[in-house]
Amino acid sequence: MNLPLLISLENVTIGYDRKELIDSINLSIEKGQFWGIVGPNGGGKTTLLKTILGLIPPVSGKVNHGEDKPLTFGYVPQREKFDHIFPISVSEFVAMGRYIRIPVGRGVKKEDWKVVMDSLERVEIPHLKNRPFRSLSGGEKQRSLIAHALAGEPDILILDEPTASMDIKGETAIMELLGRIKEKDELTVLMVSHFLNTVARFADHVAVVDKDSGIFGAGIKEEVFKGETLSSIFGLDVTIEHVAGKMRIYAAVGGRDK
Amino acid sequence: MDTSSFGEFIGSYFLWRDPMIVGAVSGAICGFLGVYVVLRRIVFVGAMLSQVSSFGVALAFYIGGFSAFSSLGSMIDPFALSLIMTALAALFFALKKDFFRISQEGAIGFGYLLASGAVVIIGNLITHEAHDIADILFGSAVVVDPKEVYIVPTVAFFCILIHSIFFKDFIFVSFDPETAQLFKYPVRVLNTVLLLTVGIVIAITTRALGALPVFGLTVLPPLTALFLTEKLKLVFMLSVLIGVLSAMLGYYFSFILSLPTGASITTCASLFFVLGIVWREVRILTIGLAR
Repeated sequence: MNLPLLISLENVTIGYDRKELIDSINLSIEKGQFWGIVGPNGGGKTTLLKTILGLIPPVSGKVNHGEDKPLTFGYVPQREKFDHIFPISVSEFVAMGRYIRIPVGRGVKKEDWKVVMDSLERVEIPHLKNRPFRSLSGGEKQRSLIAHALAGEPDILILDEPTASMDIKGETAIMELLGRIKEKDELTVLMVSHFLNTVARFADHVAVVDKDSGIFGAGIKEEVFKGETLSSIFGLDVTIEHVAGKMRIYAAVGGRDK
Repeated sequence: MDTSSFGEFIGSYFLWRDPMIVGAVSGAICGFLGVYVVLRRIVFVGAMLSQVSSFGVALAFYIGGFSAFSSLGSMIDPFALSLIMTALAALFFALKKDFFRISQEGAIGFGYLLASGAVVIIGNLITHEAHDIADILFGSAVVVDPKEVYIVPTVAFFCILIHSIFFKDFIFVSFDPETAQLFKYPVRVLNTVLLLTVGIVIAITTRALGALPVFGLTVLPPLTALFLTEKLKLVFMLSVLIGVLSAMLGYYFSFILSLPTGASITTCASLFFVLGIVWREVRILTIGLAR
């Protein structure tokens, strides 16, 4: 059954300041899918993400959003990008995610605040609504960021390194929260991550990106995550095993230099 | 406090009423807009725009001093030229801040130094009304032009009107421009309008108070407010209040102690800043002790 197509990239070259990073990118994201975008540091993952979002224009090719209606993005950027000098409360921060539904010049109405509170409930932090955003722990901030994205009632949730700098407990909590939200709201999810095993566990589709080797591959996880492909990208001997029905990815000690 | 000085001050109401109104309104609006300047980490934009404003005034006097341009010079209003040049500088910074491909601070520093140097050079070349140059730079505000009693509050009113309509939008593009762009907010337009309001207010208040106190009122009240509270709207309110108090107390002390008004205003704002730091440290200490 063909699901509605939310985003498609047709023969796209990504880059910035006219510098090409990777060309010939073809990608189709359908409703309900969970995509993981992986690759080495500086490989082009965030550039691809921002091209998909429309924040950076493609060097060439076409990026299409939504088949029959405009797409609403719920963007979850990296936690570190926000300036801590701003005295913004958690509820004010989450309300900003609602601004996609509020035109310029109009204030935040009562019904908008209701959606904001609902979003905080969904990520299980309503008790933090009046806390300064900058005072939150890493995990609390990540939940606030997800609530911020949900407040816009998005069609697709796009996350940039949501579990970076988190310990295993924090990472598991955030990913399980994401999984629950995705299932309950039938959301489409696109996630950039360094953690191959996290992506292997939660995503059903993956894209691998590496500008240095020029590799771009996208599709069903089992077809894209191959030892040879990942070894080539990361310059290590990468092995993929299936343990109790789950994919496990690890690199051999003493991998070769790229 | 010397009650005879205070009595003398009250009795001289006719002398200080207009400057006090202009000073208080300037303190309020500079305090308000200064919150954006501080949060966006463009503190020296205020200084740069103050100097550009001063340059505009000095240039008008200089042109007016040439006999060959005497008819033109008489038509050039220092206030108008100052306003135009400051607005252009604010527009340039808003639209082309990466023009030189150097850091934002570098571009601001360049603008500040260029304008400052030009003011000193032109001030040196002007053969009359030279005392006005010192007033422009360091502020006299002892006696204000009667039209400023109407111009400053009118501009402040329209500025506050714009900001009350677009408050959420200005905060959004200041805090998270990337998401604002993603949401198809007109980020560039909003940034330009915001910086234009800053530029226009700095131009008119610099003419009234002087570059030093305007820079001080744009920076110190917001910094103080940020020490006192973690709530955004309260930051704006406190910054306005501290701006007003700094201007009024500064004027009062300059009157009774015969001090330069601009420096007195700046010193009062600085004292509030120090009090803000003390308050914060005491609060941290008491919270720590309570635990």
